[in-house]
Amino acid sequence: MASPTKGNTTSANPTPANNFYQFNHNQNSGSDRLLVFQLTMANTTYPTTATYGGQTMTRLYTTNRGGLSQRMAFYYLVDPPTGVNALRVNFNANQWNPISIHSRSFTDSGGIGNHSLTGGSATPNTRTLTISQDDSLILMTSCSVNQVLTQQIPTGSNKSFITHNTNRQVATGAISSNSGHSAGSVSLRSTATWGSVTLDRIEIKGVDNSGGSTNSGNEDFFSVLTF
Amino acid sequence: MISIVSKIELGVNNTLLLTDVGYTTDVNIISDINQSYDNTLGIFIAQNRTKLESGETLISSFFVDVDYVNEARIQVDTIEGLGLIEIININQL
Repeated sequence: MASPTKGNTTSANPTPANNFYQFNHNQNSGSDRLLVFQLTMANTTYPTTATYGGQTMTRLYTTNRGGLSQRMAFYYLVDPPTGVNALRVNFNANQWNPISIHSRSFTDSGGIGNHSLTGGSATPNTRTLTISQDDSLILMTSCSVNQVLTQQIPTGSNKSFITHNTNRQVATGAISSNSGHSAGSVSLRSTATWGSVTLDRIEIKGVDNSGGSTNSGNEDFFSVLTF
Repeated sequence: MISIVSKIELGVNNTLLLTDVGYTTDVNIISDINQSYDNTLGIFIAQNRTKLESGETLISSFFVDVDYVNEARIQVDTIEGLGLIEIININQL
């Protein structure tokens, strides 16, 4: 296996005042491309669809965090068009609250692996994610009433993140170091100044260089058979 | 980090139209732009959010005496391909 190659990022914290928001993002060229998009916003409206370069993105999840009055969602697109294209997210009604968006490109990626969502729990919120294959990366995002202090991937290893204010405090864009993680359970932690904080985590898989499928999740099994 | 500067004006059907007009890495320019936004359109939306959601207040009422405002809250790590000019003085806006 090999870790996915991190590419360009775009982050924003605007108030759409419209039933959509769109921004330009530059997708890196290369093989096995992947584009991911994290969204947090007030649950007065909800996201319906997202597109990049006119292509519909796949929604991995959308979850209503009622205690925070927020909705958090994650979209991705395998093999997106390269270069500068508009990423557009549509809402069911005009959104008059600030939203948090973060997009990141990858190359050399085998797509999305496992993910897990945890609503507000007392800080420090420590959870695990089971990595399905060696060298995967983990993306994290958190939301809290209070300031989010750390995003630890794995627990004990602080990663940089972007802070947005959606009338709640959002941490977005935290990601593993370039070398990724070994397959198995990885401990992750989010902390806030006090109170509760959410913890959503997503596995970004690398490419299987052994000649097997890149998306089956059975790469190691088939590698063993080859030898 | 590079910040994209957006121009925000009245769009169709009482919505906002956002257009990217440049970029800057100057933290003072970014702060000035966002402080100006917060003190004008930002506070208008915050104070009228419920009425804007219900349609009792229209965003066009903010733009009676204001043509546009700017905001610098998009962050990118490359401007390649965006075709934007660098904002080195807030008076360029």
